[in-house]
Amino acid sequence: MSPVSATYWGLSGYVIFWVLFAVAFGLFVRRLFFLFRLMRQGKDENRFDNIGQRIRMMVVEVVPQWCNLKTVTRKDLAGLGHALMFWGFSFFLVSYIIFIGLAGGFGLAHVIEGTAFEKVFLTILDVAGVAVTIAILWAAFRRYIIRPERLEPSAEAAIILCTVFALMVLNVCVVGFNYALLDVQSSWPPIGAALAAWLTSAGVSQGALDAGYKISWWLHYVLIIGFMVYIPYSKHLHILTSPANVFFRSLGPKMAPQPINFEEAETFGVSQINEFTWKDLLDLYSCAECGRCHVNCPAQLSGKVLSPRETILSLKEHLLETGVAKPEAGADASAESSAKQMIGDVVTEDAIWDCTTCGACQEICPVGVEHVRKMIDLRRNLVLMQSRMPETVQLMLRNMQTKGHPWAGVQSMRLRGDWTGGLDLKILGEGGNDHADTLLWVGCTGALVDRNVQVTTSLVTVLDAAGVEFGVLGGEEACCGDPARRVGYEIQFQTIAEQNIEVFKSYGIKRIITACPHCYNALKNEYPKFGADFEVVHYTRLVADLIGKGTLNPAGGWDSAVTYHDPCYLGRYNEEYAAPRQILQAIPGANIREMERSQSTSLCCGGGGGHMWMEEKTGRKINEIRIEDVTSTGAETVVTSCPYCLQMLEEGIERKQLKSSLRAMDLIELVEKAIN
Amino acid sequence: MDTHKGILLCGEIEKGTLAPITMELLGIGRVLADKTGQELSILLMGSDIGGLGEEALAYGADKVYVAENPLLEHYHSDACTMVAADLCRKALPSILLLGNTDAGRDLAPRLAARLQAGLATDAVELDIDPDTGILVVTRPVFGGNALASVMVRKVRPQIATVRPKTVKPAEKDASRQGQVIRMVAEVDSSTLKVQVVERVEEKVEGVRLEDAEVVVSGGRGIGSSQSYEMIWELARLLDGAVGATRPACEEGWISMLHQVGQTGKMVSPKLYIAVALSGAMQHIAGCSGSKCIVAINQDPEANIFKVAHYGVVGDYKEILPAFMGKLKELLAK
Amino acid sequence: MHIIVCVKQIPDPEIPSAKFKIDPATKKVVPPAGVPPVISVFDERAVEAACQLKDKNGAKITVISMGQGKVADVVKHALSMGADDGITLQDSAFENLDSYGTAYVLSKAIQKIGEYDLVLCGRQAADWDSGQVGSILAEMLGIPVVTIARNIQAADGGLRVERVLKDGYEVVQAPMPCLVTVSNEVGLPRLPTGMGIITATRKKIPAWTAQDIEIDPAQVAPEGAHTEIVKLSVPIRDVQCEIVTGKDAGEAAVELAVRLRAANII
Ligand SMILES: Cc1cc2nc3c(=O)[nH]c(=O)nc-3n(C[C@H](O)[C@H](O)[C@H](O)COP(=O)(O)OP(=O)(O)OC[C@H]3O[C@@H](n4cnc5c(N)ncnc54)[C@H](O)[C@@H]3O)c2cc1C
Ligand SMILES: Cc1cc2nc3c(=O)[nH]c(=O)nc-3n(C[C@H](O)[C@H](O)[C@H](O)COP(=O)(O)OP(=O)(O)OC[C@H]3O[C@@H](n4cnc5c(N)ncnc54)[C@H](O)[C@@H]3O)c2cc1C
Repeated sequence: MSPVSATYWGLSGYVIFWVLFAVAFGLFVRRLFFLFRLMRQGKDENRFDNIGQRIRMMVVEVVPQWCNLKTVTRKDLAGLGHALMFWGFSFFLVSYIIFIGLAGGFGLAHVIEGTAFEKVFLTILDVAGVAVTIAILWAAFRRYIIRPERLEPSAEAAIILCTVFALMVLNVCVVGFNYALLDVQSSWPPIGAALAAWLTSAGVSQGALDAGYKISWWLHYVLIIGFMVYIPYSKHLHILTSPANVFFRSLGPKMAPQPINFEEAETFGVSQINEFTWKDLLDLYSCAECGRCHVNCPAQLSGKVLSPRETILSLKEHLLETGVAKPEAGADASAESSAKQMIGDVVTEDAIWDCTTCGACQEICPVGVEHVRKMIDLRRNLVLMQSRMPETVQLMLRNMQTKGHPWAGVQSMRLRGDWTGGLDLKILGEGGNDHADTLLWVGCTGALVDRNVQVTTSLVTVLDAAGVEFGVLGGEEACCGDPARRVGYEIQFQTIAEQNIEVFKSYGIKRIITACPHCYNALKNEYPKFGADFEVVHYTRLVADLIGKGTLNPAGGWDSAVTYHDPCYLGRYNEEYAAPRQILQAIPGANIREMERSQSTSLCCGGGGGHMWMEEKTGRKINEIRIEDVTSTGAETVVTSCPYCLQMLEEGIERKQLKSSLRAMDLIELVEKAIN
Repeated sequence: MDTHKGILLCGEIEKGTLAPITMELLGIGRVLADKTGQELSILLMGSDIGGLGEEALAYGADKVYVAENPLLEHYHSDACTMVAADLCRKALPSILLLGNTDAGRDLAPRLAARLQAGLATDAVELDIDPDTGILVVTRPVFGGNALASVMVRKVRPQIATVRPKTVKPAEKDASRQGQVIRMVAEVDSSTLKVQVVERVEEKVEGVRLEDAEVVVSGGRGIGSSQSYEMIWELARLLDGAVGATRPACEEGWISMLHQVGQTGKMVSPKLYIAVALSGAMQHIAGCSGSKCIVAINQDPEANIFKVAHYGVVGDYKEILPAFMGKLKELLAK
Repeated sequence: MHIIVCVKQIPDPEIPSAKFKIDPATKKVVPPAGVPPVISVFDERAVEAACQLKDKNGAKITVISMGQGKVADVVKHALSMGADDGITLQDSAFENLDSYGTAYVLSKAIQKIGEYDLVLCGRQAADWDSGQVGSILAEMLGIPVVTIARNIQAADGGLRVERVLKDGYEVVQAPMPCLVTVSNEVGLPRLPTGMGIITATRKKIPAWTAQDIEIDPAQVAPEGAHTEIVKLSVPIRDVQCEIVTGKDAGEAAVELAVRLRAANII
């Protein structure tokens, strides 16, 4: 007997059940429809390719909760709690359909009642309820007592935790009252049955038991449908949207911004919410406010304005506000009617420039939010439409324009081709060299900045020792365009990319070895959109393979404790964590100590995203924090494989006055020493 | 062309006395006049010239043209062009020299155009070609990377502006005789097309870095904000601006607005004095456009010596006081 | 308001001293490989000043440049900053002109353009550093000239211009049309916007020849030059740092002051 089949104040329980459901479901659908329409205001973007792969990805990430479990660390077990809650709640969801929907609403209670299925399922629910309850209590304890940095103790979270807790309690109550009422003698499900036994032994009257049963049942029901309505109004919207967000996740190169089609576009970048793509807006719906991005962001860690989480949340709030203001009117009208300027009021210019594009936020995000390209889209608007940027960035871009590289001032000392002096090199375009299969692309920094030229020279020595044949472009080499792209000056990036591709083709180049991870990422992942079709390899992979094959033998060794700093554009952007470590392991005596933040959670050196040309005006210096990471390993040498990282680390060491106990080196310098 | 004879100078008056450039023009003018055996005359324009005409004679002029008019109290482009062009048309000088100053820079090309003459600006050397008797003007070009020698063969006068402090000023000899000619300097204010609204003297606390001709920068080696005062003092002495490296700013010795470098200001003064800074690339990025870099550092291996033109190795605390002492002496001359 | 800006293409003035080479015979700079010519720095500021006026008061900006080879590049650059039209003046007769000849050619081009309110030049070209063309051009056009401006505002039907002076500045009111030469104090040249670059790439830049602007051949003939460069040389200067010494630090310091003075640096 389900309480739905009873009559209340002359009204059939069924009528009450379905009217309540209709109202709640109506509200739920209306909200979803509204959100969907808002999302559709975004620009088009094709995320329907490779459906098979997308389904697989979603199933793997969401169902077993890999998306959360992969973020679990010794210090942060919250991912585990979330998984418990997810699995536990999944059973409840099924139970709501069976026991409340089918049994109650459709009056099929008699089909289930007393069956073994009922016993088994209720028992599972009992256990799941315990799991969920534990997870909830733990979550509440964490959020309100321990207060980890990444979580805000919000009212919304409290409502959710209380609701879920109440659901768990009511679930037990329903079973307990029901069993007591029907005098079911059973020890399964354990907690429900225990409650029933207690009620019976306490001698509660039949009438009270009946009332208790009905009240807890209806309360349970109202709470469930209420929860359904609440979900799309709260951060728990992510329950509905994040699986979709994972499904629509970018399959292309990581963190890559969308190319702008300058032939067609009339505005560049994003200054209004509807200039984002629909996937960007879906990102906003998917954020669960877990704050992992917040605590892994170098800007946040060093006390800057930018917080990736706050940015996403402010954008979401702004989207809902502009949408609510005039849902009927066209996208433009609604954006105009909002007095708030997206750039400035919603996301400040400082925050936009604080981003080092390191991708730590995106890498750790369990729901597939793409933060980095949003920051670049905002910069694009500032730079390409409004000419607004830090003065030093403007000077950097001017240098790229007039001198073909971002390094002001070096020209007083050297020209791009100067580093080749004194080396026996095949310089393309000189001395009848008009072809090379393999090109060594050294990059602006490696060609122009003294310290980095030393690294380039080491690389040449090592490649020569391994008998690798290659040509270089010398004075003809140009910038890869990465600094321009990261600060949003897309037009310059595209022009440069097209010119470089022409040069590569004119010398018949098939394979490109790069010294700098930024060049590597641009050439390998971003040039193909502009017609490039070359094999691109970073020197770490090449050298690791040469060592693996025995061509290079770093037997000379290195006698000190080393730690490896993963450059963002090699690690997170290209997932090359192994090669550098293979090289280090092959060097006898190099005692490798990993930093706590390493590989995919490595901390940026502070120089990415154009930050080599910006001053960190607020908070601490990122490179100092990174040097602290280094010193806590006890390493005497910090090794990296990126020219920017090398400069930043060296400066950090100088700043912390650790020159006597710590040195920064490029990995290839270590290799060079070890093979000699 | 033979109709043009003599050397005419365009003198300048500053706060009621002959400006230093006037003495320099008289100095080089005398040399050239003696070489060519020609007469040296000078034009003085102002509102109340008083005895300055006689003083110019004492400094070597043979003839002084005095043009007095209230409108000429300060340099006024239209008015001075009119007066000077008038005089040139009458006096027909072969050579006309001006200072490469605020006034001379403005006036010389206008005169050249009006008189259909030839002009070489910013001369650092002036001589007479022995074969032709024509003035040879040497001037730095391409930011001082090269020197060009310029001659005006076909037209007269041959006009040049002389860079201040490059030629020897004339010595005073009160016994010299000559002629002071008071001109009728009729300037009709209605013919002046450009009106001067106001003149603003800027006594800024320190010169703006971006515009400064001299920049003095200190680095981490300075050691404290009290010691940084020495950098300020040197800058004031040279009418220059104060710069700094990033560590100096971060130590709080000076505001961040003074940071020079890749992530700071870019400066390109004529003279950049780098004191107790190592010359990191990121710093050099901001000052490499300087015409001349002077380094003071106690470490002979410091990178700054790789980019500097002049260097002194030693403790800045000993070097700067002596340097400033000598500078005061030299600048007073 | 119609503003005409004269811009010149020059060898990159930041060529490192050690790499700076000239060909004494042709009296030309031989730029190192891979260092392309640029827009003269003050001329770029003049374009910036024009754009500032356009932003504030609305204006049409026409850029003209006389030169050889890829001179259209500097005009394109100005267009991408916000100028509306560009013209190059290219003719073998325009090679190696002196300031007078240059001003003459520019004046003929400006006369052909016709109506204008303001002509802007750089205070000096950053290669030969003469600082003559602007003033001569103004005299040829018969318009007032204000030199070395640090700020230009439209005011009272004319222009209110601040002129840079040694120890301050002077504010003058000039009628239009007039010519103003621009100094770097007007502000950093803006970075071309995306739209600016695209518009500039699409724009046609006509090249006018001597015939197009009715040049009198006598005025640009080598014999007609008012000034003649007889020699171009690179001063023999040790690019190595000159380490000044003395028997103690103080003496070295005194010697440094003396040498700087002798080299006319202070
Ligand atoms: C991305 C990035 C951007 C940067 N941007 C800038 C920038 O814009 N501007 C900038 O300046 N830096 C910048 N830096 C920092 C730069 O790398 C150097 O760390 C910094 O310029 C060094 O400053 P310094 O020369 O004052 O200090 P140091 O390198 O410590 O040099 C101090 C020098 O003073 C000398 N000295 C000490 N005592 C005395 C004495 N009594 N007499 C004489 N000499 C003495 C020492 O021999 C030494 O050479 C940047 C760094 C990075 C990584
Ligand atoms: C091989 C060679 C031979 C030369 N021979 C002589 C010679 O015999 N006599 C001589 O006097 N000079 C000679 N010159 C120097 C040269 O022609 C100078 O450019 C000329 O004197 C103009 O002066 P300036 O460039 O210094 O311009 P400035 O007077 O410094 O220029 C001021 C402003 O005028 C405008 N302007 C100048 N040139 C142009 C242009 N081409 N297009 C548009 N606007 C412009 C710009 O706005 C500029 O900022 C020679 C140069 C070369 C390469």
